[in-house]
Amino acid sequence: MGKALTWVALGMGAVLVVGGCGTSGAPKVEQDSKAPLELWTRTTPGGDGEKGMKKLAAAFEAKTGQKIQVTAIFDDFETKLSQRAAQKDLPDIVMNDSSQLGTMVSQGIVREVDLSKVPGTDQLLESALSSAKAGDGKVYGVPYSAQASALLIRKDWRAKTGLPVPKTWEQFTALAKAFTTQDPDGNGKSDTYGLAVPGSTKRGYASWYFSNFLWAAGGDFIAKQPDGHYKPAMSTPESTAAVKWFRDLACTDKVIQPGAATMDTPPTNETFEAGKTGMYVVGPYLMPRFDKSLGKDKYEVVPMPKGAKDSTVLAEGGSVYLMAGSANEAAQNSFASYVISPEGQKLGMEGDKAFSVQLPVNKSVDVTTVRDDPRWKVYADVYRDHARYAPSIPNWTPIRQDSADTINALIADCGLNLETEMSTLDGKLSAALSKQGVGAS
Amino acid sequence: MSVKEAAPPRAAPRQHGQTAKPRRRSGQWWVPWLFLAPALILFLYFKFIPMAQAVSMSVQEVRPYLGNTWVGTANYSEILSSDSFRSAMGNTIVLAIGQTFGSMVLGFGLALLVEGQTRKLTFIRSAAFLPVVVPLAVVAELWRIMYHPTSDGLLNQLLGLIGLGPSGFINDPDTSLASIAVTGIWRGAPYDMMIFLAGLAGIDRGLYEAATVDGASTRQRILHVTLPGLRPVFAILFVLAAVRGFRSFTEVFLLTNGGPNGSTEVVMTLIYKLGLEQNRLGVGSAGAVLLFVATLVLTVCVQLLRRRRTA
Repeated sequence: MGKALTWVALGMGAVLVVGGCGTSGAPKVEQDSKAPLELWTRTTPGGDGEKGMKKLAAAFEAKTGQKIQVTAIFDDFETKLSQRAAQKDLPDIVMNDSSQLGTMVSQGIVREVDLSKVPGTDQLLESALSSAKAGDGKVYGVPYSAQASALLIRKDWRAKTGLPVPKTWEQFTALAKAFTTQDPDGNGKSDTYGLAVPGSTKRGYASWYFSNFLWAAGGDFIAKQPDGHYKPAMSTPESTAAVKWFRDLACTDKVIQPGAATMDTPPTNETFEAGKTGMYVVGPYLMPRFDKSLGKDKYEVVPMPKGAKDSTVLAEGGSVYLMAGSANEAAQNSFASYVISPEGQKLGMEGDKAFSVQLPVNKSVDVTTVRDDPRWKVYADVYRDHARYAPSIPNWTPIRQDSADTINALIADCGLNLETEMSTLDGKLSAALSKQGVGAS
Repeated sequence: MSVKEAAPPRAAPRQHGQTAKPRRRSGQWWVPWLFLAPALILFLYFKFIPMAQAVSMSVQEVRPYLGNTWVGTANYSEILSSDSFRSAMGNTIVLAIGQTFGSMVLGFGLALLVEGQTRKLTFIRSAAFLPVVVPLAVVAELWRIMYHPTSDGLLNQLLGLIGLGPSGFINDPDTSLASIAVTGIWRGAPYDMMIFLAGLAGIDRGLYEAATVDGASTRQRILHVTLPGLRPVFAILFVLAAVRGFRSFTEVFLLTNGGPNGSTEVVMTLIYKLGLEQNRLGVGSAGAVLLFVATLVLTVCVQLLRRRRTA
């Protein structure tokens, strides 16, 4: 045995020596205006998202003669990007969620965008551009697409209950209850539910979904202080009331689909498609899918009802990230410029499925000129009037993760004390904020 | 683990053949290493170097592009002092124990039932082995459907027949960990069964006959002949199953992702969240190294116990 332990010790020693060879510093790369661009996009390989992006890239190639190679990756996108970062060989352009900005900036893998070198950025909507600003006030991405959440309702179910499109949370709850108890699909079983909720903690879904309700109630995850630092805000009366209301949907009214606490988005989408749930708060990207699986005439798209404060919903979007260490920064700039130009935006929105731009971010482009579908107008109006992005702090993920854990716990375990959970969550958020150096003391 | 087992055979058993030359038979010392080399190189590249990197990452703040900075034991003290890690460790141990013993008991029962040599048994054995071959992602999806929390769910219908339920299964913090353990047992038992079957085949039939002649009942034969004969099999299975239990990830990730209310958070899902979702690879690596050490300690302990008993 003694001998075996010696071997183990030797092995561990070797491990430490091998591992000790660290590396540091971002390399400066010699520029080559002919170097082809490598573009990564976070979408399903072989899917419509990839087709849309390839179409856009091809148009850019045709216009400028600059070669560009599109790679679609969906699973573990960030992990794969980290691997390439470790090899000091990043793709030139990454098109990913705007909410990834903080993480990417703190890893040092995106370069700052010099707006004067990207023509057309003055045409960007204010709110979209602000989503590309990091905590230090500098711009690290070029937003090219935007989206907001709206409410999807089963039209035929609502007709059956005779209830109006909900304008307030009371009407919303009433409709959800009617969908749950009045057998709207008429199959004689009580197997339908009012609201579809992806309540799993995966990628922080529970928190992501709940933000639509939290902000409308006047609550917040974290609150910015006058000195620019942040304080946790989940135990304020407004936030607590929002959580209580949302939790009652699951625990008291029981209008949320069973199993919500362990569902991420794919199974939740299925409950809506399969006629098990009657309402769903989502972005426009699911419309092509539901049009096909459920039928365009079966559901309606309306703005979210007004909460205690207003009808604020979650805004999200995609940004073009110009990655560090590229050999062709000029082409990076011109690609970003092309995507946000009216021509690029319109091209990106074309098609029923294979579109890469959800809502335009360029002021001069109107979504209705490309798509005459009035549902897109609903989304565009909601985005313009009521949408709000997650705050720009160095790393939003831990905040989203911690709050998702708590929301998930509260809808799964109806016996938990809400106030205690909220103050525990505030403690966690406070720790996460100070770890990132943005916590208010 | 032990040097004795890993050492290459010094010489091939001496044979008095007519064709081969004795000198080539005994071979050079490096010949076995040559045969081992491809596997060793693959192991080095895909196992040992990444492991070394995990150890080095666990003492650094990892920023792949900007370069890492040395933080000493800060990652370890952070993860060890966090409540979530401690509760994840507790859940992992409960899950590992539950899955290990559940699979062993069920696997042993199955092995006794399908032991024998008729053709039908081969078919039944293959059928029983199927859960091991099915990809875990499919298993998880299957069980998610069976665990549907309303009374029209598959398992809840069965519970309803005996007047129980409906249970929330994976959606209820009180039953979620047990539900995941059941899924793990369902998948792990046939694997244990195969190893038990191999062990059973090694037991001298004469012992059973002698026991029968002496008037032993079935129960006594199992207790006094089968179980002692399977002792080495138990030891191996225990180590394998415990290591497997410690590393539970896929079924938890797919069924609950640690929820609801953290009731199924295991060390692996926590490491995944910290390292790959929050991009804090240093802290995640520290967790991984701790898990590795725990597994190592467990394996060494079992080896020690085994040696003491055989000695």
